[in-house]
Amino acid sequence: MIDYVLAAAALLTTPLLLTAIGGLINRLGGIVNLGLEAMMLTGAYVALAMSSATQSWLVALLAALAAGGAVGLLFSLAVTRLEANEIVAGVGLNVATAGLIGFILKDYYHSSGTIRLPDVVMLPRIVLPGVAQIPIAGAILSGKDPLTWLSWALVPITAFVLSRTRAGLRLRAAGAAREAATALGLRPLAIRDASTIVAGALAGLAGAQLSIGVVGVFSVGMSGGRAFIALAAFYFGRNRPGLTAVGAALFGLFDAIQIYLQGRGVAPELMQMLPYIVVLVVLTAIGVGERKRRLLQGV
Amino acid sequence: MALGLVASAAWAADKAPVALIIAQGGLGDQSYNDLADKGFKKALGETKLEGKEVESKDVVAQGENMLRRAADGGFGLIVDLEYSHGDAVKTVAKDYPKVDFSILNLVEPGANVASVLFKEQEGSYLAGALAAMVASDPKIKGIGPKPIIGVIGGTKSAGIDKFIAGYIQGAHDVDPKVEVKVAYSNNFGDPAIGHQMAKAMFDEGASIVYQVAGGTGIGVIQAAKETGHYAIGVDTDQDALAKGHVLTSMIKRTDLAVETVIKDYAEDKFPGGQTVTLGLKEDGVGLSPMTYTKDLIPAADLAKIDEMKKKIIAGEIKVWDVTSQGYPSWWPK
Repeated sequence: MIDYVLAAAALLTTPLLLTAIGGLINRLGGIVNLGLEAMMLTGAYVALAMSSATQSWLVALLAALAAGGAVGLLFSLAVTRLEANEIVAGVGLNVATAGLIGFILKDYYHSSGTIRLPDVVMLPRIVLPGVAQIPIAGAILSGKDPLTWLSWALVPITAFVLSRTRAGLRLRAAGAAREAATALGLRPLAIRDASTIVAGALAGLAGAQLSIGVVGVFSVGMSGGRAFIALAAFYFGRNRPGLTAVGAALFGLFDAIQIYLQGRGVAPELMQMLPYIVVLVVLTAIGVGERKRRLLQGV
Repeated sequence: MALGLVASAAWAADKAPVALIIAQGGLGDQSYNDLADKGFKKALGETKLEGKEVESKDVVAQGENMLRRAADGGFGLIVDLEYSHGDAVKTVAKDYPKVDFSILNLVEPGANVASVLFKEQEGSYLAGALAAMVASDPKIKGIGPKPIIGVIGGTKSAGIDKFIAGYIQGAHDVDPKVEVKVAYSNNFGDPAIGHQMAKAMFDEGASIVYQVAGGTGIGVIQAAKETGHYAIGVDTDQDALAKGHVLTSMIKRTDLAVETVIKDYAEDKFPGGQTVTLGLKEDGVGLSPMTYTKDLIPAADLAKIDEMKKKIIAGEIKVWDVTSQGYPSWWPK
């Protein structure tokens, strides 16, 4: 049972984590990206279409990455150059993208709900010989797709880049103090755009994980609000990749637990609330703890 | 309008065109909407009536709007497939007494409203009975040691639990010891969640999982194929989605319902103010022909299913209907 739950939790966490890391980078750069859902959905569609067309999961991933990044750039330009309100632009982008993809499905595939395409190559599952048989560790580590590995690798990489590299410091400067960054000769708007492209690209990969990592079909409702869970994760993660990952993983874990317990006859209405409640409780506890520490330091 | 006065059954083409309001999930769902659309196109072809499908991105919230626009747009019959449009149909039908309305899966009042109900519980009963028989036979490929089956619903609601109750009853009439796992995805368009939920059930020892969850269910079928177990499809014949891994499909003949209503309208026999009920007897629900699995299933089991079907039609077996009878005492706690 534990093995199953952990294996499922790892898969359910991947799209949340990828999107949350991107959103975090974007937020540090000064943009709260509410359009991540659109970028995820775009990535999911493009990955499936490209996988079917080329029979290469790698090409499909690169295409999803590029498509997500392109939608991200569009959104960013609207916010940074046209000074559109980021909340309105983000929500508007989600609606518009779902509409546009719906139109493509209808016009091209004569379908407006779900599409299945021929010859789709799914992401490979990396089985680790030796590890696969070990209980718990095997379930968490073995049999995962490359994006799951990438998402976790990005946690320390992002933390390092943000705190220890010139690019990370410039990003934070562009987000926290635009005038000061300009005075230093940086181009804060271009930096913001770059951070949104990264966020869009990661959300695009998250979408690809859903369409060619898990099921091999595309559905207009596929992103299922996951970008908003990711948003909660990076918001409460307070711009720290590690804590953000904890938020995403907690949600993934309790989503897996609720799925599992439902099959055992626990009231479904209660179970479906579980992941949300746990994330709220844990993040509130973290918030309270931080506040206390700050108060103590102040004294 | 002058033409309308001289119109007769033989000149159906003179009647005002027909609109079909597509439900959530949209065309291309390879399920409910697509099947209804098939019946729609067939009826239009045979009656030579004009007609159009009406879709909206926000079908639920736009119900009344869509109906009014169609009624204003000169349609003479509006067939609504969306379950949440009950109130909207009732309201709009009152304002447009000259337009005929038909709603599926619900009963709404009005002399110009025809309601069509399906006895999904009857088809689901047969699906549950077949699943229980097959799951109790570990000699069949893909069947685990314990007789466990499952069902995944789109939402926890009476409309979905009607299927689930029939499924459980059918399974337990075959063998009360068969365990039936029940879960809900809370979403009709998220195949990734359907996939995870089905895998959880298979992991827990289930051999067959019935999906009553629209697009989410596509993920259930995919999981059955991956793990070498079985899924049961819903609404349309989904057996070909994973050949050999969809044990059967509980087909709901939405096409028949739409076709019948349109033909009746064309022949001036529109059943306004009435409720049409389609069950096993009317061939409105039933199991698929099992094109890819019938060789896997012992002939004795199939014969038994046929016998059960006859008993239900004869009224010897009464299948529980959650929508009219509420929840049975044996509903899983």
